[in-house]
Amino acid sequence: MIKGKTGTDKVVSVYWFAVIVIIAGGVFAMAYSFYGHPYDVREIEGDILANKIADCISVQGRLNEKLHSESGGFDGNFSDDFYSICNFNFNSESDYGWDKTAQYFTEINFYNLSDTENSVFEIKKGNMNYKQDCYMTDKKNKDYKKFAKCSEKRIYALDDSGKQYLIKILAGVAKTEKNVKL
Amino acid sequence: MKKLVKNFAHFYYSRPPAHKMPEAFAKINSRNLFRKNSRGTILIENVIFIILNVIFLSIIILFLARQSSGAYVLEESYAKQIALIADYGKPDMLVKIDLSKGMKVAENNKFNFADAVNVDGNVVHVKLRDDGGYSYSFFNNVDLGEPYPDTDENGNYNGLYVITISEKNVLENEAQND
Repeated sequence: MIKGKTGTDKVVSVYWFAVIVIIAGGVFAMAYSFYGHPYDVREIEGDILANKIADCISVQGRLNEKLHSESGGFDGNFSDDFYSICNFNFNSESDYGWDKTAQYFTEINFYNLSDTENSVFEIKKGNMNYKQDCYMTDKKNKDYKKFAKCSEKRIYALDDSGKQYLIKILAGVAKTEKNVKL
Repeated sequence: MKKLVKNFAHFYYSRPPAHKMPEAFAKINSRNLFRKNSRGTILIENVIFIILNVIFLSIIILFLARQSSGAYVLEESYAKQIALIADYGKPDMLVKIDLSKGMKVAENNKFNFADAVNVDGNVVHVKLRDDGGYSYSFFNNVDLGEPYPDTDENGNYNGLYVITISEKNVLENEAQND
């Protein structure tokens, strides 16, 4: 109702109103998509877990003393006492029933350098059902984010007699509900 | 005709010399522009448009600021950060983490900042409001004790939280994983 306002001015106002609505919509959508999704820290967690396991198994390039049995070779008790020796606690909070199903897993394989196909000793701990998620590499899969995140490390270590071993460490973290918007 | 000649003569003889013309023109122009009764065009549509734009931008900035410093977002972020610190940490470490944004949010929600971070076993709980909170677990079997807010010289909270990492009892560790 402004005097002197022409038809063109009105069209421009409507155009600007539309632009403002589009910009506002875009900003709200971006903010919602950014802050509406939880922070996914599973990859970092998996890396830290794999590093901690490596630190526990190999100390300054030598196998942990507790891995050696008195009769020679690997000591099976290391696997049984893995949590206390390496100082891990795979229990989780009670949310989503995580206190009943472990949200972590690890598989450690020891190989002679002459045969890197068949492991001479292995340790499996945690919820091994998540291991299959590590082989889901298709990022285009819409469920990709829902899979557990894994971290793989390969290290070499010497035993007491100076024999060299290849150690493959696979560590994974599930905790999907708190890291991905389902 | 006489009048015309008189007017021309007045104009011709009263005009300034050629080298002073620009100054004279400027004088005339300023007199015309700033004279008391001149009627300027008030672009009221433009003023309204600018005000609306400023309001619109302010709303968007406020919205983004509120989203980024929302209690839930900060609770989640802090709980995960502290859990990762615990995972990576080693016994005898003392970590100070900056929760100053969280302190402001807790103050706004009238929540005691000293109760913001709690650790139960290997689960970190962060709470910045009465109804809410976020929990996240860590796998490193260390004792985080009771985290407490750091204070400045005057005893006021400075926004930092102190976390001490110490070794856990081995027997307790075995019992937890069984």
